[in-house]
Amino acid sequence: MQIKLQNLKRSYGDLHAVDGISLTIPSNTIFGIIGKSGAGKSTLVRLISTLEKCDFGEIYFEDTRIDNLKRDDLIAQRRRIGMIFQNFNLFSSRTAGENIAYPMEIQKMNKTDISKRVKELLKLVDLEGREDAPISTLSGGQKQRIAIARALSIKPDILFCDEATSALDPQTTRSILNLIRDIQKKMSLTVVMITHQMEVVRDACEDVAVLDEGKVVEYGKVVDLFSNPQTNVTKEFLANLVDESSQVDDIIRWSEGGLYTLRFKGVHTDEPILSKVSKELDVEFNIRGGGVQNVENLHIGTLLCDISGDKELVSKAVARLREYGIVVEEN
Amino acid sequence: MNQLMTLVTSATIETLQMVVLSTIFSLLLGLPLGILLCITASEQQGGIIPHPILNQVVGRIVNVLRSFPFIILMILLFPLSRIILGTSIGTTAAIVPLSIAAAPFVARVIESALKEVDPGVVQAAKSMGSTNWQIIHKVLIPEAMPSLVAGITLTIINLIGYSAMAGAIGGGGLGDLAIRYGYQRFRGDVMIASVIVILVLVEVVQVVGDKMVARLMEKR
Repeated sequence: MQIKLQNLKRSYGDLHAVDGISLTIPSNTIFGIIGKSGAGKSTLVRLISTLEKCDFGEIYFEDTRIDNLKRDDLIAQRRRIGMIFQNFNLFSSRTAGENIAYPMEIQKMNKTDISKRVKELLKLVDLEGREDAPISTLSGGQKQRIAIARALSIKPDILFCDEATSALDPQTTRSILNLIRDIQKKMSLTVVMITHQMEVVRDACEDVAVLDEGKVVEYGKVVDLFSNPQTNVTKEFLANLVDESSQVDDIIRWSEGGLYTLRFKGVHTDEPILSKVSKELDVEFNIRGGGVQNVENLHIGTLLCDISGDKELVSKAVARLREYGIVVEEN
Repeated sequence: MNQLMTLVTSATIETLQMVVLSTIFSLLLGLPLGILLCITASEQQGGIIPHPILNQVVGRIVNVLRSFPFIILMILLFPLSRIILGTSIGTTAAIVPLSIAAAPFVARVIESALKEVDPGVVQAAKSMGSTNWQIIHKVLIPEAMPSLVAGITLTIINLIGYSAMAGAIGGGGLGDLAIRYGYQRFRGDVMIASVIVILVLVEVVQVVGDKMVARLMEKR
């Protein structure tokens, strides 16, 4: 469902939280809206999701104007959109399954249909069999999955994600984003993702609008924005982009052992050093594990390996590796 | 000894009557008021139907009633008992002032319990298209249930205390017994027995209330 905003304005006293925003959010995509705190993104999502009325301007879902609806129509409209939040906002008085059932309950769906749909949704979000779990027993990622299931229970056309991953760690964020991408395709949803994290935009969105002081300052395909940012706000966001790989410090191991740790810095990563040394000195490298880390724009490759061969040759090989600038640590 | 037992037993039954009935009536009066106070509060305070004037007016009335010393309120309200029940003496008559005196307290207790509910959760319910009534009875009340039960426990304990005071001005019950026999006729044994029964009642209500709250919290 396409969303069209025309010159939206909303102020609180002297604060122009949303100050003349016009935007077209295409149907069937994941659209990012990024901005610093105070840029007006939360107000904007409250306006589009009909939780709050705008002072000025118009909002259309396809061709239907939705910003001036009467109370009953407003409630009917809200029942056709899904929304998830930074703090999950699940009902602690209900179990996971009862949470998912809530939107269907208030629409007076019959009980057997509800419980069938709850099971389907739990499966969709990978939490099969957890319907009786109290909310407090779930992890942050699981809570957000339940919240997603709850938002999708009434088969909405639009899903609003209001800082949906901001309270989650990078790994969980990734899995939630993957889930959102999956269901977006499966259900042909229009997803509007409000965030202050550029990595969320990079990993999940197709189009993005950058918000600053209540205005859209940049707008376009995510790829274009990343390759050719126009405004300082966008550049700042890109500069602060946290590269998750630098945070992932673990090394993938495929077998036990590994007497030596080799660290390759920057330039050496594309030279066939190991083969060279192996041929030169008649030793064999048995690689047990490895990984690449990004530290301050420098790629550092790490290999865990055993070196087999004549003892003297092995120590020569180690010396040779060090000559190449590789850090060799004996474990 | 036998006479003491009979006196205390019948007074206990009267007290229980007063407490149970006035709890029910004060809840009937206070619960809607508490809900009203919560939902008409400003949006920042989690109100779903903000209405500052109504909120102010009801809030003031509740405050005025709450600041009245109970004993004065009782005396003022006895004529009302006469109008409603045809009598201003005895256990039944005491129920009217007790309920009305406890209602504002109940209203505040309910209000503060409901305001503890995470505004984000209410917003989520709203975003899913809940009607106001659905938000009240499917979200606010269930979410606040542990605090509500704790608040009602407190109300009952207060009413046990109030009912003893009501005894002093002709309300019957354990307070009446303690004053008429224990104090005015120097029956120390009656005084002690009455006080012990009141203590036991309070303790039982507190323990049961705490258990219920714990049970509710366990499932979350």
